[in-house]
Amino acid sequence: MSTFTDQNGKTTSSRVAVVAAGLISPLGSGLNDNREALAEAKDCVTEVERFRVDHCRCKTAGQVPEKYLPAVNGRSRDRIHRASRMMIGALDQALAQDRQFKPEVAVIGTTSGGMSFGEDYYRALHRHGDLRPSPAWIANYPPQKPVIEALQKFQLDIASQVIANACASGTNAIGHAFECIRSGRYERVLTGGYDAISELVFVGFDSLQASTPEKCRPFDRQRTGMVLGEGAAILALENLERARARGANVLAEITGYGISTDNHHLTQPNPSGVGPRAAMSQALRSANIEPAAVDYINAHGTATIFNDAAEGKAIAELFGRKVPVSSTKSMMGHSLGAAGAIEAVFCILALQQQLLPPNIHHRSSDEDVDLNIVANAARSAKIDIALSNSFGFGGTNASIVIERYRE
Amino acid sequence: MSVCIAGLGWATPLGSGVPEVWTRLLAGEEAAVAQISDIVSDVSYPAFRVPESALSNLPRHPRLRRASAISRFAAAAGLAALEQARSTIGKIDMQRVALIFAISNGGVIYTKRFYHDIVATGAQSASPLLFPETVFNAPASHLAAIVGSEGASYTLVGDGAVGILAVKMAEDLLASDALDYCLVVGAEEADWLLCDAYHRWRMARPTPPIEPFHSSAKGMILSEGAGAILIGRSGQVKIEQTHAGGNYAGRRQARELVGRVVKELATPDLQLAVASANGTFVDSLEASAFSQFVPDATIYTVKPALGESVGASAVWQIIVAAEALRTQQLPPLLHVGAEVKRDAAKLQSALVSSCGLNQQVAGMRLSI
Repeated sequence: MSTFTDQNGKTTSSRVAVVAAGLISPLGSGLNDNREALAEAKDCVTEVERFRVDHCRCKTAGQVPEKYLPAVNGRSRDRIHRASRMMIGALDQALAQDRQFKPEVAVIGTTSGGMSFGEDYYRALHRHGDLRPSPAWIANYPPQKPVIEALQKFQLDIASQVIANACASGTNAIGHAFECIRSGRYERVLTGGYDAISELVFVGFDSLQASTPEKCRPFDRQRTGMVLGEGAAILALENLERARARGANVLAEITGYGISTDNHHLTQPNPSGVGPRAAMSQALRSANIEPAAVDYINAHGTATIFNDAAEGKAIAELFGRKVPVSSTKSMMGHSLGAAGAIEAVFCILALQQQLLPPNIHHRSSDEDVDLNIVANAARSAKIDIALSNSFGFGGTNASIVIERYRE
Repeated sequence: MSVCIAGLGWATPLGSGVPEVWTRLLAGEEAAVAQISDIVSDVSYPAFRVPESALSNLPRHPRLRRASAISRFAAAAGLAALEQARSTIGKIDMQRVALIFAISNGGVIYTKRFYHDIVATGAQSASPLLFPETVFNAPASHLAAIVGSEGASYTLVGDGAVGILAVKMAEDLLASDALDYCLVVGAEEADWLLCDAYHRWRMARPTPPIEPFHSSAKGMILSEGAGAILIGRSGQVKIEQTHAGGNYAGRRQARELVGRVVKELATPDLQLAVASANGTFVDSLEASAFSQFVPDATIYTVKPALGESVGASAVWQIIVAAEALRTQQLPPLLHVGAEVKRDAAKLQSALVSSCGLNQQVAGMRLSI
C-alpha cells in the first residue's frame, strides 16, 4: 500500500466514504430505478434513433430516454447538450441526498463531451447549411462543458478536473478522487463520469467491428462484441471521519485503487491480461486485502473477443473461479466515460442489497474464460467487498475496491 | 511537501528544445504564420504551425508511424524534458513516473477526416485506422509506449487553463511515495476546422499579429505544438503554489475569478507575471488583476511570438516563467497595445496566470 504525505509533510491514510450518489442510465433515473432494473435483469438496449445507422453492422445501443433527463426551457434547449442534462440530473440526485456536502474539487471522467454539437457544426459546414447556431455548438462542445454546466446549476464554485482516459475515465476519476482524500490533501471531492452517445463514436466502434449486430454477451463463448450505452453517475466522496462527525449517511467506502498502462497496442489489450492484472493487484494492495476477500467483481466485460479473454484470464489467475463476476454492460451497453462511475454505483447497490447484479444474454461459458458468471438473473449473496474494473483504448486500466460500510 | 521542475521540453512553431526556442524568443523573434485551407470552404485562416524540422529528433518508433500531429508534438516535448532531466539527475525509473497530459481539442485532424468520410459517403467508409487516433488519450498512450511506462497515465481535458490543472494533479499524485516524478505534457494541433470555429466564435483574428493588451480585443491566432515539464521533489525552480481556480459563467464572473486567483497567488516579492493574454477578452481581465494585486510585477505574454496553443498554452507559460527565473532574462513583449511594466529586476518569483476561452481559470507561482 502506498503511503501519502499531506501538505504539512505528515504521513497520512484517511478512510474515504461515499456519502451520496446520483445516477442516470438507460436502466433508469436514480438509485431506486437502477436497483430495480438490476434485480429484474432488464435489457435496456434498443434500436438507435438519434442518427442513421443503416450503414452500420450494429444498430442498437443503451439509450437514456428523454423522460429521465431534467427539462430545459426553450432558449436553453439548443445550447444545453444531452450530456449536460445527464450530469445535471445525476448531480441533482446526489446533492438531494446530502445537502451539507460541499466539495472542494470535481474530478469527472468522460470520453467525448458534447460531441454531437461538433457533428452538427461539421454537417452544417459540409452542406453549406445554416451556421447561425455554430457559436453555441462550438462553445458547448468541449468535454469540460457538461461538468461546468452542472456545477454552476447548483452554485458549486469549485475547480473541475476532467479526465479523458477513454473507457477507463470514470474509474480513473473515482480512483484519483479517492487518493486525493486518502492522502489528506482534500476532505470532500465530487467525482463520477458521463458520456452521451454520438454518431462519430458509434461509427468508430462499428468500423473497428468491436460492436455487435447481435446481443451483447460478455464472457460468453459466442460473444460477438459490444453495444454502446450512455449515462452519468456522480459520487460524493468524503473523509470518513469528517462524514461521521457531521452525521452523514455513509453508503459505502472506497478502499483501494489501481491504475496501469498496457503498451501492447492502442486499441487491443495484451492477450496475457498483464494490464488488467496489474491494475487489480494494485487495487487489492491499496485496499490492503487478499484476492480471496473480494465477494463480487463488476467486470469491464465489453463482450469483445479480446477484452473478455484478457480480463477473464487476469481475473482467473488472480482470484480463481470462485468469485462471482458479471458485466452489467450486457443490460445497458458500454457508456464509455460514464461506465466506471455507473458500475461503481451498481457495486454500492450490490453491497447494500446483498444482491449480485446479473450478466444477461449469457448462453454458454467460454472454456478460455473460466469464470463464475452471474448468468442471466440477479443472485442473493453475502457481499462485503466488490471490485470494479474499467479498461480503455490507449491501454489504460483501472480498478477500484468498494466495501460495505461498517461502524 | 514542495514540488519542483526537474526538466523541460518544447516543440513550438519557433523550433524545438528549450534552449533553441528561448534564444529565439530573447532575440525578439516570432513564428511565421501559415494559411490553412480545407475542402469544405474557400476561406483560409492563419495559424502558427510546427515546422517538420522541429520534430527531426523523434525516434523511429512504430507507435509514431501513423500517429497524429499532436502525438508527435507531445512525444518530442516529453522526450526532451526527460532527456534534460537525465542530464542532471541521471537514470529515471519510468515505472515511478506518472504521465499527465493536458489537452483541449485533441487529435482534431484525424477526427475531422474520420467524420468527413461518414458525412460525405456514409458510415461504411469510416476508417478503422483513424478512429483510435481520435481518442483524447492517444498521445499519452503513444508516449507511454515509447518510454516504456506501465504506470499511471492521465489525460486531462479543458481549455487554456488545463495545463495548470495538470500541474495541480501532479502535486496531488506526488503525495504518494509510489511516484518519483510526474511528466506533465500540454499538447495541441492546429487545423482549419478549429480556426474556423474560433473565428465564428469571434475569438480569432483574420491576420497576424496577436496584439496583447490592446484597448479593443482583436482576437488571437491559433497555434500548435507541445510543452513538457518533469515535476519532482527537487529541482532548480520550485512550484510554490498552484491554484486550481474555478469556472466562470460570463465576463463579469471571469473578471472576479481571475482577480481572485491572482490575489491569492500574489506575494510582495513577486517580480514577474506571465499572462495568458492573447488578444481576446482575457487581456483586460488579466491587466486589471495585475494592476490591482501585483502592481510592481513585469508583465509578459509569449502568445504574440508563438500563438494561442490552447491545451499546450499554460505549459508554455510555465516554461517561459521557469526559463526567465533560471536565466534572469525576459524576451521582449511583442505588439503590445498598452504600456506595461517592463523593468525586470532580479527575478526570484513569478506568477503564471491562465484564463481559458472556455470558462476555466487557474494560476500558479514559481520561485528560484
